[in-house]
Amino acid sequence: MIAAYLRSIARRFLWRAQPEREMEEELQSHVQLRADALERGGLQRAEAERRARIEFGGHSRFKEECREAMGGNAIDQAMQDVRFSLRALRKSPGFSLVAVITLALGIGATVATFSVVNTVLLRPFAFSHPEKLLWIYSQRSDNPRTNFSLPEYCDYRDQATSFEALAGVASFNPSFADSGPPERVQGVRMSANSFAMLGVRPLLGRNLFAEDDRNGARGVVVISYGLWSRRYARDPAVIGRAVNLNGETREIVGVLPASFALPNLDTEIVVPLQPDADPRRNVRNSVNFLRMVGRLKPNMTPQQAHAELEAIRQNLQRQYRGIYTGKIGITLVPLTEEIVANIKSVLLTIFCAAGAVLLVGCVNLAGISLSRAAARRRELALRTALGATRGQLTRLLLTESFVLALAGGSLGMLLEVWGQKTLLRLVPTDLPRIESFAIDWTVLLFAGVLIFIAALACGLAPAWLLSRSDLRDALVSSGRGSTGGSLQSRLRTWLVSGQIALALVLLVNAGLLLRSFIRLSSEKPGFDSTDVQTIRFSLPQTGYDDVAAIAQFYNQLHSRASAINGIKSDALISILPLAPRSSSFVHFTRPDQPPARPEDTPTTNYRIVTPEYFRTIGIPLLEGRNFSESDDAEHPPVAIVSTIVAKNNFPDGSPIGQRILVDDTEGDPRPVEIIGIVGPVKQTNLETPAKADIYLPLQQVPKDGVQWLRNSVYWVVKTSGGTIGVERLLRDTIQNVDRNVAVGALRPMSESVVAALAARRFSLLLVGSFAAAALFLAAAGLYAVISYGIQQRNREIGVRLALGATRAKILGMIFKEGALLVAGGIIAGFAIALALARLVASQMYGVNERDPFSFAVVGLILSLISLVACGIAARRAMNIDPIVSLRCE
Amino acid sequence: MSEEAELLPGTLDLLILKAVSLGPLHGYAVLSRIEQISGQRLFVEQGALYPALFRLVRQGLLKTQWGKSENNRRAKFYELTAKGRKRLREETDWWKRASAAVTTALAARPQQA
Repeated sequence: MIAAYLRSIARRFLWRAQPEREMEEELQSHVQLRADALERGGLQRAEAERRARIEFGGHSRFKEECREAMGGNAIDQAMQDVRFSLRALRKSPGFSLVAVITLALGIGATVATFSVVNTVLLRPFAFSHPEKLLWIYSQRSDNPRTNFSLPEYCDYRDQATSFEALAGVASFNPSFADSGPPERVQGVRMSANSFAMLGVRPLLGRNLFAEDDRNGARGVVVISYGLWSRRYARDPAVIGRAVNLNGETREIVGVLPASFALPNLDTEIVVPLQPDADPRRNVRNSVNFLRMVGRLKPNMTPQQAHAELEAIRQNLQRQYRGIYTGKIGITLVPLTEEIVANIKSVLLTIFCAAGAVLLVGCVNLAGISLSRAAARRRELALRTALGATRGQLTRLLLTESFVLALAGGSLGMLLEVWGQKTLLRLVPTDLPRIESFAIDWTVLLFAGVLIFIAALACGLAPAWLLSRSDLRDALVSSGRGSTGGSLQSRLRTWLVSGQIALALVLLVNAGLLLRSFIRLSSEKPGFDSTDVQTIRFSLPQTGYDDVAAIAQFYNQLHSRASAINGIKSDALISILPLAPRSSSFVHFTRPDQPPARPEDTPTTNYRIVTPEYFRTIGIPLLEGRNFSESDDAEHPPVAIVSTIVAKNNFPDGSPIGQRILVDDTEGDPRPVEIIGIVGPVKQTNLETPAKADIYLPLQQVPKDGVQWLRNSVYWVVKTSGGTIGVERLLRDTIQNVDRNVAVGALRPMSESVVAALAARRFSLLLVGSFAAAALFLAAAGLYAVISYGIQQRNREIGVRLALGATRAKILGMIFKEGALLVAGGIIAGFAIALALARLVASQMYGVNERDPFSFAVVGLILSLISLVACGIAARRAMNIDPIVSLRCE
Repeated sequence: MSEEAELLPGTLDLLILKAVSLGPLHGYAVLSRIEQISGQRLFVEQGALYPALFRLVRQGLLKTQWGKSENNRRAKFYELTAKGRKRLREETDWWKRASAAVTTALAARPQQA
């Protein structure tokens, strides 16, 4: 019994021709039997057969129906459904085209944003078990994320037991030279055991291992995938090559995978930390330059680890009184979160916006399919009468929308593949991990799921409607005004309101982003970027052992630059404004007002400049005097502060002439006289309000700052406009003074301002276009539902007109209906937008996420556009001729 | 022509089941049997017959077997299954009730309303 069943199944699948042949034979035998009957009735055999065939008609006409009735296997059925739907779709090319395009754009946009989300947020990190990795900062009263000093790191490393390992990481931006010209690279010094701890596998060669950290170990370096591609064109022979980093020879031993990234640090190169070789190893109050990263032991929680580190910190504070003042705690952040934290909500917002557009598109198509289903009621009813079951019809409708979704989705994927480059140009360059962008299996899988969901979203409503309506009615009556019809129009109404609500949510978000963007771009950064070029360089390690040598270098550079016609002024600065990844700050005190508690010691951004700096970059000198050539080592130390310092620390009068104690050496704080006040400058980004700044003249930099300046300093040049050849000119000017200087890329200051807005511009651009698309789709949906309603009620309107209703009255009636729809949608949209507001709050700047103004304006815009859509639809109603409409029944 | 009634939608299946219940029949014979038992008043479109037959087979109401026709042609014979017999009873009852109701309704006179 079972065997027979299995055989019959097998036969169906393996030998699909058999039922077909049997059917053919049966139909033939039918014709023969009919001919027999006709022959008995007195006809010649030939004539009888001919007539029998004619009576029976062409077989193929109903063979398909027979096949369907017989029920083939699943593949046959699916193929047959696809054939049916293709035929049905060919019959309405307009609808098919609109549907495919809508779905292609919706799916394409959603998949494109997903591929970015996938790369940045979802793709596995280069680390094994990244959830166990914690990024550790020292917490200060004014900044939860500051660095540790080297001895401090060693203490935590040796004492903490909650971690399998604890690594120290510091940024390290040396000049990098081999056979070509030296180049400044951005990398890190990192405990050599950290690779084992992070679980990173090298792409090529080897990683660093604990042995490399030993004092006196051979110098090695690991380079990033980016540097490998850029400088060595992915040449595998790079392993073993000797390079020169800051004058020190090191061997390249490995290449990192493309997915390797650390939070807020560029990792073009990684060199071992070698803590015991560092002169600061035992200098307790030496500079804080290390962050820590640790891997939790399997049974430890971050809370336990935090408690332990906190206990160690308090011990250290007791042990070394006065050294660690201002360090008030420990900040622990999961590593992966730290890498993507800033961009997460932005990307998710954009992704949701794209998804919402797709949803609006699907709803729109569902609406259109509903009207089509209504128009096709007679066709469907006929199929039912001919024996199609309801299930088959539902399947047919779903197959139709599936065919559409598949076509649209494929087109969307093509768009995505073609548009990849454009997409990557739009994406802000500092987006973490974006360099490993690729369309992978996850993206393809997502696209597949999306196509499936889109097919259901488009096809489910009509199919559901079908299951609710009585199709026999449709055949008997003229197919109008039946229950299915009113259910259908109610459903469409709901769908359109839903579209309007979604469009409103997107518009509100876009509006808020736009207001934030306008607010932010009108923020004054505190300097004037017009025609200001910047170039970063590192001096060679030899020959620049004191400040005098650096100052001498600059004097030569300055005199050469002054001789160049297009250069108006030039200066050096240790760290440029709007440099999100660099920071340098010091503690200072007023001798007459020592802080009540050590941790209340104020901090300020710390910048080393040459006298021309303020003029070059357009920071106004508001009071006092500028630095001069005579502010050198021979003269008493002086400083210029920003108005923020004056306001916060000298509310009692002008700070000019006052002395403060600046803690910028390893020794005791040194007294410095304030000689001038300049305007405030945004040092990290445009969002963060300007903080206190202190500027010191290059010639008076204490010994401790020499190495720092030698490794990285910016040359700022104000030109008389024009950028062609400037980079070459400035590079040559620097290298004509000393050809061993490693010169970085030229960057116009205006570009830094643009870059500071890049992430916002990106999200505004995308969310804005998605909102516009949603608005357009919603308006089209509204137009369609109103004009469909008018068409359905053609006769009613005709009667009303014939009975003397004015056109204005009819118009009022249509507008009232439209207004109800729109009002429903807008109210629902406001409710959703208010509920979701919290999620976008972090992306707002200077605007409340529930900003009533934006809400009102967006509501107004949407209402106006909806009215226009209603108006266009209503014009058709106005053209109804009562005579024609009454006759056309 | 006035003698011929139009086949009501949905009644074809019932008529086929009835025709086959009187004994196994091949496709062509089903047509003749329906014409015969309806007193030559109901004619089934030849093209509509086979889809209906196949459907009934698939629903398990009919079973088939190849055999020889009365004039010795190879033909496929249709036969009621137990399920088909049950369905025929149900549909017949339903039809009787429905047509009686319609007949009563149509016989209504003004004073009865």
